Amino acid sequence: MKNAFTKDNTSEAATAGKTLQAAFINFDTKTLSAQQQKIFTDIADDAKEHAEHIGANGGNIAHQREHFDMLSKDMADLIQTFGNGGQTLYKDFCPMYNKGKGAYWISETKEIKNPYLGKAMPTCGTVKEEIKQ
Amino acid sequence: MSLKKKILLLFVAVFLAIQFIIPAHNKSGQVLPTDFAKVFTAPANVQSTLQNACYDCHSNNTNYPWYSNIQPMAWVMARHISKGKAKLNFSGFGSNTTRKQISKLKEILNQIKDSEMPIPSYKLMHKSARLSQDEKTLLINWLQATADSLSVSN
Repeated sequence: MKNAFTKDNTSEAATAGKTLQAAFINFDTKTLSAQQQKIFTDIADDAKEHAEHIGANGGNIAHQREHFDMLSKDMADLIQTFGNGGQTLYKDFCPMYNKGKGAYWISETKEIKNPYLGKAMPTCGTVKEEIKQ
Repeated sequence: MSLKKKILLLFVAVFLAIQFIIPAHNKSGQVLPTDFAKVFTAPANVQSTLQNACYDCHSNNTNYPWYSNIQPMAWVMARHISKGKAKLNFSGFGSNTTRKQISKLKEILNQIKDSEMPIPSYKLMHKSARLSQDEKTLLINWLQATADSLSVSN
């Protein structure tokens, strides 16, 4: 999804949104402890709505990105609680989105590819945190 | 009787018949403890703007205009209200988790900023729902500040 946004590809982002929404719905929480379930449900309830909006708004990339911003916050919290699944990840920050308020995103590459501004400013942003195993 | 007259008569008959199919009104008459107005202490002008421009479709209490008594208007309204409440219900706002409340506040903000809400057909009939630039700025600033303060405390 993030990579679709870096390319300004609204329909690819929508497809990714639908896939992610299904993944949240189908996730089996039984493998988690009670405490983990609580945290997961809190985050997933919110995140799947953002994924749904991204999935349903192919053609309106500005609206999709608004939800991607909020979804990224959820993903960062998920990673903080449940780890990175064995892959080094990067928490990147775009200072320009939201009229200078800025926004975070999670990336699997160290190289900056901005999903909020896309092709207009592909290399805008900085790595704020390297999430190692 | 000419064909034209027959068709006209049929239309009148159908129109009269559908007047008896009235959907249930969305009017609980009570303000829940989870209502937006109880969860947040918004300035009076913020709360009243939300109530005038949003609550008809996004709460348990709709102010029905006179033409809602003519069908099929009430059918269209009932559909808008049920769709609106599914996405956002100010009456039950407090029953959302804090995380969701923050998201909803930001979504409301974005919808207002992008002029996606209120919808045009609603604004056409409701003068008070046509938000001025000042009203939009007022709402956006308050929504942003509230979302930020919730984010910090969590």
